[in-house]
Amino acid sequence: MNGRPAFFASALRVFDFSLGQMLWSRRSVFLALLVGAPVLLAVVVRIFAAAGWLPIVNGTQVGGPALFGVLMWLLFVRFVVPVLGVFYGTSLMADEVDDKTITYLFTRPVPRASVLLGKYLSYLACVVLLLLPSIVIIYFLVVPIGGSIGQGFPQLAADLGMVAVGVAAYGAVFAFVGAWLKRPLIVGLVFAFGWEQTVLLIPGYLKRLTVVYYLQALVPHAMPQESALSLLMTAFQDLPPVWVSLLCLAGIVMLALWLGGWAVENREYVLEQ
Amino acid sequence: MTVRTRYFAICSLLVVGVGLSTGLVAYYVGFPTSAFAGSSGPDELRYLPATSTVVAFANVQEVMTSELRQHFRESVLQSAQENGQREFQEQTGINIETDIDRVVAGLDVSGGGTNGQGTGVVLARGRFDEVRIEALMREHGAHVDAYKDKRIITAEQKLPAAPDPALVSPAIPPVPQTPQSFSLTFVEPGLVALGTTALVQHAVDLHSGGGESALTNEDLMERVKALGNGNVWAVGRFDVLRARAKIPDAVADRIPPITWFAVSGRVDSGLQAALSAETRDEESAKNLRDVVRGFLALAKLQTSSKPEYQRFVDSLELSGTGNKVALSVDVPAQVFEALRAALPKPPAQGGIK
Repeated sequence: MNGRPAFFASALRVFDFSLGQMLWSRRSVFLALLVGAPVLLAVVVRIFAAAGWLPIVNGTQVGGPALFGVLMWLLFVRFVVPVLGVFYGTSLMADEVDDKTITYLFTRPVPRASVLLGKYLSYLACVVLLLLPSIVIIYFLVVPIGGSIGQGFPQLAADLGMVAVGVAAYGAVFAFVGAWLKRPLIVGLVFAFGWEQTVLLIPGYLKRLTVVYYLQALVPHAMPQESALSLLMTAFQDLPPVWVSLLCLAGIVMLALWLGGWAVENREYVLEQ
Repeated sequence: MTVRTRYFAICSLLVVGVGLSTGLVAYYVGFPTSAFAGSSGPDELRYLPATSTVVAFANVQEVMTSELRQHFRESVLQSAQENGQREFQEQTGINIETDIDRVVAGLDVSGGGTNGQGTGVVLARGRFDEVRIEALMREHGAHVDAYKDKRIITAEQKLPAAPDPALVSPAIPPVPQTPQSFSLTFVEPGLVALGTTALVQHAVDLHSGGGESALTNEDLMERVKALGNGNVWAVGRFDVLRARAKIPDAVADRIPPITWFAVSGRVDSGLQAALSAETRDEESAKNLRDVVRGFLALAKLQTSSKPEYQRFVDSLELSGTGNKVALSVDVPAQVFEALRAALPKPPAQGGIK
């Protein structure tokens, strides 16, 4: 008689059936809105550019590459990626608990931690399959406005990589939060939009306890300067080198997944009657 | 995985794959792939040499008829402007305000030139009375030579008088001066080329099909195409200019290692301009951005109590990624008015009583 399936084989099996569940669930409507809105925005910008209605903002007429950079920085890095991490990552185990289907998963002869890993992989695949094509479409809509697709290609490749890494890092952190805590969504939102945004403004070592500190070192677009204060802040900001950021983000992913697996293995999930 | 999920994954990966492949091909082949791609620059670029160090363009018609320029006609620089324009018209018969539509200029320091200053040429498109211009230049001592099928009018530069030996310091020997000749020719109807004789002749060569023009300089044209829709712009190699300028080492070491620079601006009711610089590497660009950010922050703090300057400083925007640094500014006409009002007035004519 065969023993338990190997850990990664079990995770892949869970990934296989979770991907379809996650992709065609009601939560995906929210995901579709999140990735569809920027595309719609890009279409509107393109129509405006064709009609010559593109505004002049703080300088020369806004060009496509600059617009794409602003969209990537303000929309994707600062909002879409953390939001997807929070809403999807925290629900990996929480949804199974709420739907009372976690029992069926835990009674299977597979390591419990592999369930979390499989669901994390399905989250990663689901989000990446929706997010990356939208970024590519936005790139081809926006960048040709006063710019060159060929010239901006290295930025596109770097942006796609950066978004994928960000999705993986945030997803892992919030998967751990979701596996460990009872009310993970609130904690996740506080972390993503409270702790991370606040700590970045404080000089010192606290910012190294965030994901965005390492992620923004990968961002190829210069951060916009809104005021003298932010100018001074960015003047004193020390971003880590790219290789350090990648190493730290990889470490965050592995540590968070290991901690999440440990939490799933040891925590007792009480289903509400 | 269901069939529906599999098809979705395939479509998604296809979109990403096609997008990346198209971008990769465009990156290596260099085609714009879009109707909105940047323009390839004015036609007159085909008369500039491929070795041009700096290339500049100005839509003279737009600039001269702009609101901003009308304001400046009443500025303190009015007399200086008019003197310069008058002198140019007396020498060449060309009225900058009415005869010229646009100009393209090129500076080439790669050939050495005389005194290491390089050679330059300006191509002006507009309406010119060729006979009158030639007659006027002959009156001022120019001579006409035939070069290929074109008439080139050449005026020798008058050297300044030799300095009094008693006043010259032996520690600072005078710079030997060699005369540069200034030439003018009509490359085609409505297009005049004026500048150093060597480049004017080169423009004639390019018109008759010989030689390589600036259009074949891919590095230069890539940056020209990336410019916005300004009515004035300049693109050039800063490092080449710096090398030719013979700056002392102590000063040169402090200048950032900038390779290419590009300036573009739009003059209408105000001035919108963008300056971009490419550095040797990303680290240099990062340092340069940090320095500029510091200066911007300092300027904003210093001008917080001066509204006329504050608006100007507030419009400065720093950007750039990789090895590029860009600075843009948007100055409406009101700011120039306020700045002009803040400047000290020139003394009244008539001298001190």
